[in-house]
Amino acid sequence: MSTVPSELAVETEPKGVLPTGSAPTPARRVISTLRKSPAVVFSVCVIVFIVLLAVFAPVLAAITGWDPYEFDPTAIDSDLGGVPIGPFGGISSSHWLGVEPGNGRDILVRIAYGARVSLMIAVSATLITTTFGVVLGMVAGFFGGLADQIISRVMDFLMAFPSLIFMIALLSALPAGNRPALLVLVLSIFGWPYTARVIRGQAMSLRNSEFVEAARASGARPVKIVFREVLPNLRGTIIVLATLAVPSYIGTEAGLSFLGVGVMPPTPSWGQMISTAVGWYAVDPMFFLIPGTFLFLTVFAFTVLGDNLRRVLDAGDAA
Amino acid sequence: MSLTAPRTISIPVAGSTLLEVDHLTVTFPTSSGPVEVVKDASFRVESGDTLGIVGESGSGKSMTSLAIMGLLPRGGTATGSIRLNGHELLGRSDREMRRVRGDKVAMVFQDPLSSLNPYYTVGLQIEEAYRAHNGGSRRDARRVTIEALERVRIADASRRVDHYPHQFSGGMRQRIMIAMALCLEPDLLIADEPTTALDVTVQAQILELLADLQRETGTGMIFITHDLAVVSQVAQDVLVMKDGEQVEAGTAEQVFSNPRAAYTRALLAALPRIDDPFDELKGTSR
Amino acid sequence: MAITILRRLLAAVGVLLLISLFTFMIFFWLSPDPAVQICGKTCTPERIDQIRSQLGLDLPFWQQYWQFLSGIFTGRTYGEGAAAITCAAPCLGFSFQTNESVTDMIVARMPVSVTLAVGAAALWLLAGIGGGLLSAVKQGTGWDRAVMTTALAGISLPNYFVALLLQYLLVVQLRWLPFPQSVTFTEDPLLWFQSYLMPWLVLAFGYAAMYSRIVRTNVIDTLGQNFMRTAKAKGLDAPVVLRRHALRPSLTPVVTLFGMDFAGLLGGALITETVFGLNGVGKLTADSIAKNDQPVIMGVTLLAAALVVVANILVDVTYTYLDPRVRVKSA
Ligand SMILES: Nc1ncnc2c1ncn2[C@@H]1O[C@H](COP(=O)(O)OP(=O)(O)OP(=O)(O)O)[C@@H](O)[C@H]1O
Ligand SMILES: [Mg+2]
Repeated sequence: MSTVPSELAVETEPKGVLPTGSAPTPARRVISTLRKSPAVVFSVCVIVFIVLLAVFAPVLAAITGWDPYEFDPTAIDSDLGGVPIGPFGGISSSHWLGVEPGNGRDILVRIAYGARVSLMIAVSATLITTTFGVVLGMVAGFFGGLADQIISRVMDFLMAFPSLIFMIALLSALPAGNRPALLVLVLSIFGWPYTARVIRGQAMSLRNSEFVEAARASGARPVKIVFREVLPNLRGTIIVLATLAVPSYIGTEAGLSFLGVGVMPPTPSWGQMISTAVGWYAVDPMFFLIPGTFLFLTVFAFTVLGDNLRRVLDAGDAA
Repeated sequence: MSLTAPRTISIPVAGSTLLEVDHLTVTFPTSSGPVEVVKDASFRVESGDTLGIVGESGSGKSMTSLAIMGLLPRGGTATGSIRLNGHELLGRSDREMRRVRGDKVAMVFQDPLSSLNPYYTVGLQIEEAYRAHNGGSRRDARRVTIEALERVRIADASRRVDHYPHQFSGGMRQRIMIAMALCLEPDLLIADEPTTALDVTVQAQILELLADLQRETGTGMIFITHDLAVVSQVAQDVLVMKDGEQVEAGTAEQVFSNPRAAYTRALLAALPRIDDPFDELKGTSR
Repeated sequence: MAITILRRLLAAVGVLLLISLFTFMIFFWLSPDPAVQICGKTCTPERIDQIRSQLGLDLPFWQQYWQFLSGIFTGRTYGEGAAAITCAAPCLGFSFQTNESVTDMIVARMPVSVTLAVGAAALWLLAGIGGGLLSAVKQGTGWDRAVMTTALAGISLPNYFVALLLQYLLVVQLRWLPFPQSVTFTEDPLLWFQSYLMPWLVLAFGYAAMYSRIVRTNVIDTLGQNFMRTAKAKGLDAPVVLRRHALRPSLTPVVTLFGMDFAGLLGGALITETVFGLNGVGKLTADSIAKNDQPVIMGVTLLAAALVVVANILVDVTYTYLDPRVRVKSA
């Protein structure tokens, strides 16, 4: 137990007492700039709505009285092959967004549960790829040398991969198991190089900046410089990359589920709903329109937000 | 403040006023309100004469010349009056300015590497300038181009004409820019720090070359530099700028022998030979 | 130069070997036993063992991998005696579900995929470059905003969703187009065109959106360069300045991008072909996934990787030719 004191000593080194090199763009200014853009306000509203939908999916199920797996034979016309009864895909006071043709499951509740799966996969993959991408990118960019060689080669290799085809191959080979977890894994393996590449480039230019030189001259350990000086300066970039990673993972997951290698039935997912809707598009267009619109709006909102964040943070850097 | 005082030392070219700039102000909008980077500048350039503009970095020298060319960066606006051969340039359409640029006024830009398109040979870039105003065949244009390159002492010009900008040294690129301006034979040549990157011998050659050109064609010139010693060699009139303001204007003789602004005196004091810089002018330039 | 190319080729071969190894490993260890699949529902353990030894599935991993690799160059034979199946030289494997060599299956479906890819590429280059240019030249105007908003929406729209939308609107509701059918150009040019129109649009729009954003950025970047100022200072006409001096620097990087995207199209074609029922390599892949026909999936994966790797080299060589700074070493 003799090591404890020294560990504690490391832990209790003064944090944030020394002024960091360059002041990152003040968050408040960024937010006030973003709030002036109607596109951003709209995007944030959409994102908040989708997140609420996902979080309160069980509540929604309780309110509407429909479980995501529950069939409702009374809502479909079995004589017509299972087409929903009523206009617009069976929209009624009991089924607010209509029902799935063939089995009468409630679309709204399935959309909400689908949002859960979708967001959970995308956010987990984003967290993982951002962590790995940032750490490996900083190591490669800041330390250079052999570490950079190895990391860069692996990145080149992964990015040269026809990743969609390979993900499909991989997922089709993998046993059913825990599909969402597998999806996160596969998305992460092919996703981190895109974050790492950008971070590496920025870390390389920061390596030679004045404040890093200053920290180095004052005898700070490299690891400390990386986390105390370099990381805070990459904050804006990381936020932008993460915001833009979420929609790309949502899109990819939906695509994979559409192709039947992603989230497996009966677990609801937007891509899979659209895939099922292919057989019904002519008679029941609402079945592909609703999940498609949700998917589009979510991806669009995240992309708009990320794009605007980048614009504002870039401008902040230039000023 | 305008340069109307009679000049005592001047080359004997029938001086008619080529360029008259009055109350030129260049403004840029910024997030903290509009910023005037050139404030109320007024000066004249007679044909066959040279006006030297001196001033520290950021004093607005380049902006003044870009305003004359009508090529201010996005957002920049110029007010006041700029008359070339009596015709007002400010407020002209871009289309009308196009006939002035290259033909009446040519400019040698400050940064020669980024001022040349990396994707095309220097020959093509000079030829297209020549042909835009003189027409003629590509053959002619090429001949003129090679001649111009030879005049700026690019060795082996007939081979080098087919090289790309990145294949030349900094000083050579600067001379290529000058060659481009030369073959246009403009009424007014604006040279923005054309000799900064050059060593002393090449610098002297270039200055001589510009003087020759001026003698032959009667071109008026605006010569921008940080270097007062260079100004003393080439200019008949001098304008000193600081933070966008015109702090001193007059004939070279006036400015060098009897500077009015404290800033000019400080600049002169920094020169190696303060005792009589005007002597140097007499000795070397003519 | 020759040494550089040689090194690139060696590296490419290395990458392909690695990819083939990974693909092989995945199917070797992770996926269900192909012998069981081949054998069908009613099957004895003896029969399974028999199939395994026939196909060499009982051999150790490296030997199987070697058989697979050498099959690509020399062809291979499955089984022995009268029941033996030969798979000719570029043998990417053999599908026991369809009783066809994977190479033949891919080759047979190539024309459809190539038609789809070429048409879509032409469309997206046209729309992407056109939109990007318009947006950049009219920067800050309504045009710019319209193009960029469309582009942003475009990259956010999943292409299978667009496929369904188009099909529903143009075919079911408005009846402007017939249901896509598999006809060749020589059979019925009009129907051929009508059948490919929607797939082209669907495959192209996402790329068009992406390209217009990139082209816009590049053009705006180039317009701000000092050499543009020089070009204007010469008194050149505005269209000449734009065409000669802005276009080439802005579009040269797009060549690289295009090469890589075109080579990577198999992924996008997969969805488009499936939705429209076009019988190309993409649909073959999707069908094989549904049937878990592993040799086909593996063959397509390798093909896709090879395309990307080859494109990478071609693009580099092309780029060297297009950019004088790379082509001509400093004097
Ligand atoms: N696009 C722009 N927007 C706003 N301000 C600008 C812009 N371009 C230049 N400036 C400002 O105009 C001022 C004058 O710049 P100018 O280029 O004329 O200086 P200069 O005298 O030529 O300096 P140097 O000797 O370094 O070339 C500078 O303070 C500069 O910051
Ligand atoms: Mg300047």
